[in-house]
Amino acid sequence: MTTPTTTAAAPSGSTAEGRAPKNPRTGGRPRDGRSRIRRHLPTSPWLFAAPGLLVAGAFSLYPFLSTVTNSFTDRRTLIAGRFVGLDNYREMLGDEMFWTGLRNSTLYVLGVVPALVVLPLLLALLVQKQIPGISFFRSAFYTPVVASIVVVGLIWVWLLDERGLVNAVLEAVGVGRVGFLSDQWLLLLSAMAVTVWKGLGYYMIIYLAALANVPRELHEAASVDGAGAVRRFLTVTLPAVRSTMVLVGALSSVAAFKVFSEVYLMAGPDGGPAGEDTTLVMLVQRTGTGLSGRAGYASAISVVVFVVTVALMLLVLRADRKEDA
Amino acid sequence: MPISRRTARRAVATAAALAVFLPLSACGGDSGGGGAADASGKIEGSITFQTWNLQANFKPYFTGLIAEFEKKYPGTDVKWIDQPAEGYADKLSADAAGGTLPDVVNVSPDLLAPLAKAGLALDLDQAAAKYKKEYLPGAWAGHGIPGMEGTYAFPWYLNTGPLFYNKRLFREAGLDAEKPPTTYDELFAQSLRIAGKSKGRIATLANIPTIEDFGRYGVQLMNDEGTAFTFNDAKGVELLTKYKELYDAKALDPQALTATPESAGKKFLTQAVAMNPGSALDLEKFRKDAPALYDNIGITEQISSTGKDNMYVMGVMVNARTERTPAAVAFAHFVTDARHQMEFAKQVAIFPSTAGSLDDPYFTKEDGTDATRVRIAAAKSLKTAVNYTPVLMSDQMKTELRNAVARALQGKESPKEALDNAVRACDRLLKQS
Repeated sequence: MTTPTTTAAAPSGSTAEGRAPKNPRTGGRPRDGRSRIRRHLPTSPWLFAAPGLLVAGAFSLYPFLSTVTNSFTDRRTLIAGRFVGLDNYREMLGDEMFWTGLRNSTLYVLGVVPALVVLPLLLALLVQKQIPGISFFRSAFYTPVVASIVVVGLIWVWLLDERGLVNAVLEAVGVGRVGFLSDQWLLLLSAMAVTVWKGLGYYMIIYLAALANVPRELHEAASVDGAGAVRRFLTVTLPAVRSTMVLVGALSSVAAFKVFSEVYLMAGPDGGPAGEDTTLVMLVQRTGTGLSGRAGYASAISVVVFVVTVALMLLVLRADRKEDA
Repeated sequence: MPISRRTARRAVATAAALAVFLPLSACGGDSGGGGAADASGKIEGSITFQTWNLQANFKPYFTGLIAEFEKKYPGTDVKWIDQPAEGYADKLSADAAGGTLPDVVNVSPDLLAPLAKAGLALDLDQAAAKYKKEYLPGAWAGHGIPGMEGTYAFPWYLNTGPLFYNKRLFREAGLDAEKPPTTYDELFAQSLRIAGKSKGRIATLANIPTIEDFGRYGVQLMNDEGTAFTFNDAKGVELLTKYKELYDAKALDPQALTATPESAGKKFLTQAVAMNPGSALDLEKFRKDAPALYDNIGITEQISSTGKDNMYVMGVMVNARTERTPAAVAFAHFVTDARHQMEFAKQVAIFPSTAGSLDDPYFTKEDGTDATRVRIAAAKSLKTAVNYTPVLMSDQMKTELRNAVARALQGKESPKEALDNAVRACDRLLKQS
């Protein structure tokens, strides 16, 4: 446990020096490595952590605090702001687009999270079996994860276009053309479908890791006791992966609430017809960027996004704890 | 360990104090009038020149231009930066806020307005008034900002274009393909006919009306003082009501509410819509990418109730905070002078903003090709064309208008209500700017 670095960094005259036996070959420095470690503990961890702390401070903490302070100003892109108290937050309450954004972001969580908690688990159960060629399916399901969201978005826009493949098929079977990209609700649903489709593979991998840790003996014991596949899933698999489901729920709800790319690509920069598909993060982007951007107001919306995201995380974790109790 | 705890507390307190106060100290950009600096003096030193998505296609032209300038003014060094089309305003705002705005910058009037208001654009009426007579009066005046004295950018290239239409789709609707609409009434009537004949499968237009469309229809967009928007007048309501009829009859593409100019262009390319505005550049694209469309392409003039076409204007501004004002002003003028604008116009389908250039045989003499015909017609219309987009109309204001138009087309609000709301929102944003 002793390291040359610790020894070399030892300052003289510390209180530990008086208690340690002196060694004539080392100029009186203590031989007991443990006491030397104890003596330098207060500063050494900070030194090791300093690079990480500096990066986190510069690129996370500072921008975060800057956003919070900006939210109380009327700062614009090119004009230094002045303190306006809670004016931005008050304006937000009367801003229809803010409520539209909050509604859409919340709907996104409600629509996407259950699907991303359940479907990847089912998919993982399917591909977990060691049968020939299964790795092909695993890779196929994972491919959308590594694909660029812009490419994925464009492909889906082509597919769902009024004259796209999906509408051609619907027309051929007599359903008629459906305005996936022109109807406010269908647009939001289409974007949710893309998010779920793209996220399936990622969460499937997390579930595969969790499933690999479920002891086979439990399944065997349940089978011996006469439990069928469904019963085994409910009584053995589900309890074993419950904490992973909570993790997936937390991760996907945070990601869903902060959705931007899918809706932006499919609904356009205005957020769909009359901006009705705008999400909160899209509103932050639209309000705060550009030469006339209202950085103060956009910061206030960002703070709300942060608070809701933290609340979502706490809610999921609390639900987990309650179940544990 | 009392010492380490105290140290840690101090570190946290210092970090918190820095985090709280640094953002305030970082608030940059003082508001106020545009700067005016002395452009006389020796033309020397290093300057940066930023263009807007021009490097990919015109690198040899600009490197030649810069070399010529550096040769003419020994001791100067021009560093050329080109930014992609996407997110150009964001790049400018980041540079402006960070104090890294280049010395000479390619801007459009709507991007120029906030920069001039923040005191970042040099007032050329003071710093370079001697060059004013070289440019078309309208183009020079077009770089002034309502509510401010002065002109804040050298006029550069202008652009306008015809309306393309698909003759086959016109013929299939029983219309005379050689007689495209020339008035708004004809446009609306023919659009409804095409939609009716195709049972809603073929729309004529793919874009909802923009502020330029309101301007071309004869709507007064702002008051004379430039302090309030007025596009909710009777004429504006009339235009939006007509578009609502088109939308309901599917004569306006159902996806128009979320369309961008690019997506509308693609719809025209795939012959899903019958008409689309464009420029001479598009003809080549049609020939290469959509030969079937090219065989049926019709070209007609922009439809306008005012008798004046819409034009897009580009300018070159000088950073008011440049440390090399003489070199920056000289270079901005060099890029935009008559000779260089003419050279650039021969590289690409744009039009010079310098006095007399549009009378050059290049813009007046037919050679039998479609491209030349389009170029000559555009040059002719530019002599009276107007940049209808108010320079004070920011992107956020344009979004408010688009959303209001969409609400009216969907029937969620009447055209009058929608435009009233849009005007209110734009006025509020205008006051905050």
